[in-house]
Amino acid sequence: MTAPKPLAGADLCVHCGFCTQACPTYLTLDDENDSPRGRIVLMKAIADGSLAVADPAAALHLDQCLGCRACETACPSGVPYGHLLEETRAKMVERRPLSLPTRVLLYVFATPTLAAAFFSAGRALRALGLAALLSRLPGRIGIMMATLAVSHRARARDYRPRAGTPSREDVAVLQGCVMEGLLAPVNRATERTLAYNGYRIVSSPGQKCCGALHAHAGARDAARALARENIAAFEASGAAYVAVNSAGCGAAMKEYDHLLADDEEWSARARTFASRVRDVSELLAAAGPIQAAGQPRKLAVDHPCHLQHAQRLTDPPAKLLAALRLTDAHDLPDASSCCGAAGLYSLENPGLSQRILAPKMASIAASGADCVATGNPGCMMHIGAGLLRAGSRVSVRHPVELLDEAYSREANV
Amino acid sequence: MDSNTRILADRLANIVGPRHVKTGASELLVYENDGLPGYHKRPRLFVAPGNREEAIAVVQALAAANAPWVARGAGTGLSGGSLADGVVMIGMQRMRRILAIDPEARSATVEPGVVNVSLTKAATPFGLHYAPDPSSQAACTIGGNVAENAGGPHCLKYGVTLNHVLAATVVLPDGELLELRTPDADAVGFDLLGAFVGSEGCFGLAVDITVRLTPNPERICTMLADFTTVDGAADAVSTIIAAGIVPAALELVDAGTIAAVEASIYAAGYPTDAAACLLVEVDGPAAGLDDDVAEITRHCTAAGARSVKTATDAAARAKLWQGRKKAFGAMGRVAPTLAVQDAVVPRTRLAPVLREVARIAEKHGIRVCNVFHAGDGNLHPNIPYNGHDSAEAARVHAACDEIMAACIAEGGSITGEHGVGLDKLPYMEDLFTPDSLDAMCRLRDAWDPARRANPGKVVPVHRCREWMATPAARS
Repeated sequence: MTAPKPLAGADLCVHCGFCTQACPTYLTLDDENDSPRGRIVLMKAIADGSLAVADPAAALHLDQCLGCRACETACPSGVPYGHLLEETRAKMVERRPLSLPTRVLLYVFATPTLAAAFFSAGRALRALGLAALLSRLPGRIGIMMATLAVSHRARARDYRPRAGTPSREDVAVLQGCVMEGLLAPVNRATERTLAYNGYRIVSSPGQKCCGALHAHAGARDAARALARENIAAFEASGAAYVAVNSAGCGAAMKEYDHLLADDEEWSARARTFASRVRDVSELLAAAGPIQAAGQPRKLAVDHPCHLQHAQRLTDPPAKLLAALRLTDAHDLPDASSCCGAAGLYSLENPGLSQRILAPKMASIAASGADCVATGNPGCMMHIGAGLLRAGSRVSVRHPVELLDEAYSREANV
Repeated sequence: MDSNTRILADRLANIVGPRHVKTGASELLVYENDGLPGYHKRPRLFVAPGNREEAIAVVQALAAANAPWVARGAGTGLSGGSLADGVVMIGMQRMRRILAIDPEARSATVEPGVVNVSLTKAATPFGLHYAPDPSSQAACTIGGNVAENAGGPHCLKYGVTLNHVLAATVVLPDGELLELRTPDADAVGFDLLGAFVGSEGCFGLAVDITVRLTPNPERICTMLADFTTVDGAADAVSTIIAAGIVPAALELVDAGTIAAVEASIYAAGYPTDAAACLLVEVDGPAAGLDDDVAEITRHCTAAGARSVKTATDAAARAKLWQGRKKAFGAMGRVAPTLAVQDAVVPRTRLAPVLREVARIAEKHGIRVCNVFHAGDGNLHPNIPYNGHDSAEAARVHAACDEIMAACIAEGGSITGEHGVGLDKLPYMEDLFTPDSLDAMCRLRDAWDPARRANPGKVVPVHRCREWMATPAARS
């Protein structure tokens, strides 16, 4: 047996407990084993060998973690919770394989031809109205179909940058798996709004799924393989920045340096690459962005966890929305807590995921908003599915879509 | 697990539901600690009642089984008070409903698991807040605050938990329900509620608590004064208080603490080259507040402050306070284990005591980070160290003993607000005579004759003359 490897960063935890009230699963389940502090204790025990890797109780509580990382922005000591969780899950996967549906999904996402087929089937279900119909079914299938039904197609018309816009850096846009597969309009809106603000969009053939879902699940080798392919593809594009419109993907790609830290051949390239990754809101904020009158509406803003907690970005998304000069746009009162989407979580833990979504649904209803803005495909679809199933008419849009529509209207008048 | 524990667990599961009883070793791990790293005591089992009826039934079932128990709120305590060494732990975190807010009577009735800051949030629409604000207020519970008679920065002006508890319903350890109300003008007899607040879980389990809500002040100013010597900051504290000003809060953070906080997500903008900073807040009617600010600024400058900055808008004040309030948690950046002291000394003796603490630290080769309620003379020397290094741990323990002795020698006490719990137990005999300790045991016996609630805490067991013979009193 090899000597137990200490969990790097876990020692920063002095057990103060300040994280507990930031944790959606603790507030839902009321068990400290389902709090960051409790999970850190379990992860430390697994790392030092005092607890079996396959301990069923520990596995349950670690599986129930959303990975939202709200504990990280509550922690005075700076415990790198997300890294501890990925490292522990990777260790657990060796002893306890992932569920078959999860393995299949991860394989599909990592394989472009399969992903293309998978998402076209999804789009067909959506186009035929079957997804909306089947969303009324109870359980997992209903949730999945609702999630599919609320993904959407383009609404804005194409437009060109204004003459005289100062030119900015070359940018390659991550197309992503789910975003391009089901929410392609968000990618087009990303490209158009960046171009409108002076960035030059360059293509980067060979890019793939970012591997975030693989890393979160503990499938580190698959995540590393995807990271290497993406690094190579984006390097070849010659772009100064990699623009990402999915908060989860952006967070993962900004941490490629951590993922590949032990890879002698790739660690330096991963560091350089990670330093070039930007959320689309960061690039737009750096450019202003150019103002345009947004459609008057009552907008509620929700902050994706991997934008605010993992990437620690709050000002750039606010600047992006401020460009719309909306008079009635407000953060949801619980904008800092997770909606329950959390990647594959909504499919793996549907019951708990829906319980975590419930307060968000209530605060959206109480806000009186007719539209919710959030910058992550998982959140868009999970919140949208919740609203659809509740019979609500509130729409969910990516912030760049709102900006794109405003630009499109102004350019096409 | 022995068969008696299995039977007890089943009985409790019938009351609260099986998901809320923990008996497995892995699920009990997190309940081995409170907010003080360095102690590990495994509970016999963990049970979390979800409402008043369940809580009463749990205590009654434990009484029937003659099983000792310890109540725990959020586990943020800093004296080991909620550690359960082989006895049952009752977790109160599920009981977190605010039962009523009465804006006219300026009071709120809450379940004990309500988090301190949630009560203030709920009271905000009425222009009210819950005044006692321990630094752990974002996580700690009202029930735990009552048990420890918790303090906090603003207790300098507004008083500690005791001054804000109006009533409580308590299950005595024998299962009897007791309504404790603050004696009003007509009431006669002993103030039993006053005895209960701060009894560190030894007198019973509160199932609801009614507290006073305080009107928000019209205006608040928060000042940050930065000093090149700790002495200067300590002297400024004495002169401000001596001048007759009662700040809402008067806190001191030293260089070691500033370094940890400024490296954290709660960086407050404290100058990292200062030897110490004072955080001074004044509040009240807008008229006259500027005079207080000017006078405090004068005293700080006279004591050697390099600069005194004033924050009046809510965001800037919140930032200054976040640094102070999260300082304890930020100590993990220095070392993984932490010894926390909670001594109180006469305010006028702050400077010499701080010098003595620094001397003791240097002598033992340890690091002390001071962050404390200077206005109350309530010191918190935090000593970050590596608990895996037994030689270092021994030096820390020796230094702690000397720091305590120094505080007592200056006319001080061993705890201001964290409670005695387990951590300060050895110092009780330095502070109290055998007769006093015996009197405490007898008071405890009046509430809990079977000695089932929080055994082994607060009063050293061997000081209780008839204590040792009972099954609950495990050494």
